[in-house]
Amino acid sequence: MDDQIKSGKDVIDEFFSEILNVEGTDENTVNKLIELYSDSKFTDINIQNALEELKLEAIKPKKIKDDGEN
Amino acid sequence: MAKIKSIKISGLRGVREPLTLDLNKKSVLIYGDNGTGKSSLTDSFEWFFYNKIEHLSNEEIGRKKGRDALRNIFIPATEDGFIELTFDDNKLDSKKYIDNLLETSSSNESDDFNKFIASSFSERLILRYRDLVQFVIAGKTDKLKELQNIIGFSEVQKIRDLLRRNGARVARNIKSSNYNNLKNIQQSTILENLGQNAYSDDQLFDGASKLIKPLKLSVEIKSRQDINTVLKKIESKEDSELLNQINFYTKIKESIAQIECNIENINNSYRTFYDSFNALKKDSEKVKSLQLLSLLQEGKSVLAKDVVQDNYCPLCLQEKSKVDILQELNLRIEELELLNKEKEKVDNNSKDLQSTVKPNINTIEGLLTEKLFKKEDYAKLKETVEEIKISLNNHLDESNKGLTDKLTDKEIIKLVKKEIEELTSKLVEVVKKLTESKEANLRFRVYTKLFQSAKAYVQYLKIDKEQSVLANQQATFELLYEDFIKRQEEALNVFLAIFSNDINDFYTIMNPNEKVENIKLVPLKKNDELVGITIEYSFYNETHTPPTAYLSESHINCLGLSFFLASVKAFNKKNKFFVLDDVISSFDRAHRYRFAQLLTTKFSDYQVILLTHEKEFFELVSSEVKSKGWILNNFKWTKENGTGIERGITDIKDRIKKK
Repeated sequence: MDDQIKSGKDVIDEFFSEILNVEGTDENTVNKLIELYSDSKFTDINIQNALEELKLEAIKPKKIKDDGEN
Repeated sequence: MAKIKSIKISGLRGVREPLTLDLNKKSVLIYGDNGTGKSSLTDSFEWFFYNKIEHLSNEEIGRKKGRDALRNIFIPATEDGFIELTFDDNKLDSKKYIDNLLETSSSNESDDFNKFIASSFSERLILRYRDLVQFVIAGKTDKLKELQNIIGFSEVQKIRDLLRRNGARVARNIKSSNYNNLKNIQQSTILENLGQNAYSDDQLFDGASKLIKPLKLSVEIKSRQDINTVLKKIESKEDSELLNQINFYTKIKESIAQIECNIENINNSYRTFYDSFNALKKDSEKVKSLQLLSLLQEGKSVLAKDVVQDNYCPLCLQEKSKVDILQELNLRIEELELLNKEKEKVDNNSKDLQSTVKPNINTIEGLLTEKLFKKEDYAKLKETVEEIKISLNNHLDESNKGLTDKLTDKEIIKLVKKEIEELTSKLVEVVKKLTESKEANLRFRVYTKLFQSAKAYVQYLKIDKEQSVLANQQATFELLYEDFIKRQEEALNVFLAIFSNDINDFYTIMNPNEKVENIKLVPLKKNDELVGITIEYSFYNETHTPPTAYLSESHINCLGLSFFLASVKAFNKKNKFFVLDDVISSFDRAHRYRFAQLLTTKFSDYQVILLTHEKEFFELVSSEVKSKGWILNNFKWTKENGTGIERGITDIKDRIKKK
């Protein structure tokens, strides 16, 4: 009986180990979530901050040598 | 898996002098009249493994997780109370102490032992009579919670909630940011200045090239760097003040236009909040009864912890079966929890309103920091902007009101789009006039238009990128949530099927030839959300649920016992023993005997510590369990020593045999 039943931890660990295979997801977001879970920091506020960081990183103006920013 | 070699207890609960049980990994049946200290053994066990004694940890008798009532009050202050357990694996042997200051310590602080205790924390090691029926009579939500706790699914539920909540939050951000409108505002600035839209670099460069053509600069615009070069070339220091004014008005125009686009969202959010708030408030009985929820929950907790020992209601003191009171409480709590969901809906609408209004307030606050607003010339404009801020703040104040307050009517508070539209139009006119105030100065006009359109284009790209990042995040969370709930449900269904099989098996052994069959734990869903678990069974080939409506107390107890034993089999990974404290009180003779047989057949590989205060049960099953290698013990209590072991008849027979 024990072998067939998955504990809560089994379910969560499996989810995070296979999360990159979920089609159509954003790789940066998924990697950030994996990182938070691995560091035992998968909390609401940490996720919220991580998403904000990813957003700011994405919209940060990039300096282009030949094609300067206004 | 661990089995116990010996138990030694001293100075805990009713045990004053050391009490030793040499078990040598064998099961034991212990008899003791009420008050002889059987529960002292169970309580000490609970403290050893769980560091608390749940039924002693209420406000009246023990605030420090039951430790106040754990230490025997007659032992000298210099003496520590303790429980010492030795196991088949001696690395786990440990003595846990409590001194007269109620400080606790342990003789074993090894990693092995700490890991063992941490793992044991989620195992099912003790069942008392008072806990026997908790699961069976619990409401569907509590059943789900209890099961999820046992199988570690409460963590699963937390992750699921986090995925759902964050996906919803990102969706709310997208909605409240109104990105398409923000992009349109920037495009209209580009259109006003360039005479065409610019959704790509090429379109911008094309428009910019046309704009600078009359200046005959012999510069071709093929990059954003080229635009900067042109701007530097035609910049005039003399016009900087006018340019500042144009930038200032353009910024205000864009911000006010942004708010204008959000007015409909804000008004709609307020309407939704207002309607749900007043719908709940209308039924004052509902609101009043919601206030009873915490009282009923507390009452349930008091009964579950056995603070009241006898069968009476602790509030009105009328005689009534505790099981009946608990069942009634569960029903009423479930009803009120449904009502509470309506209140949560109002709270969510309030949060939605806040998240729609706040970004607009932030925009206005950003505007009010503009340097030119400090000048007297702009005082009237500043006042107008501040009025918009006050109006937005009023919405926030309303969203924070409680159900006893009265909300401002939605027609009175609503933002009037027309007024804001007029302000935006005026600002567009002002910018136009300022730009054309130097009609003769072609360079200045070109400079202003090129500068404004290039700035708006960068802003447009930024908004577009932000929108796309958030849309990706939202889609990601939705897909992950979908994947996760599939996994959760699959795992839970496998668990419920196997677990139901065992419960059914154990129940049928205790109740053979009865028409109760196919006992199942069934998940309940609402709007695709798992909301609870119920127990279903066939009775004369008809499906019934819940069990309490048709089963006798003895049968409900059998079900509770079956549930505990199935949990032991399913989830105890570290410990191969469990304690059953007076669990057969409501059983008749036939059930009692079959229960003993169930333990000796299905749990022969486990070490069972079975405590009873019923002489009849002890005598009935003694020979059955003894023939399977169990030890028999009698507890007695004396004023001098507290709980001790009496050498009973069975023990004497043993000694004669040995001779």
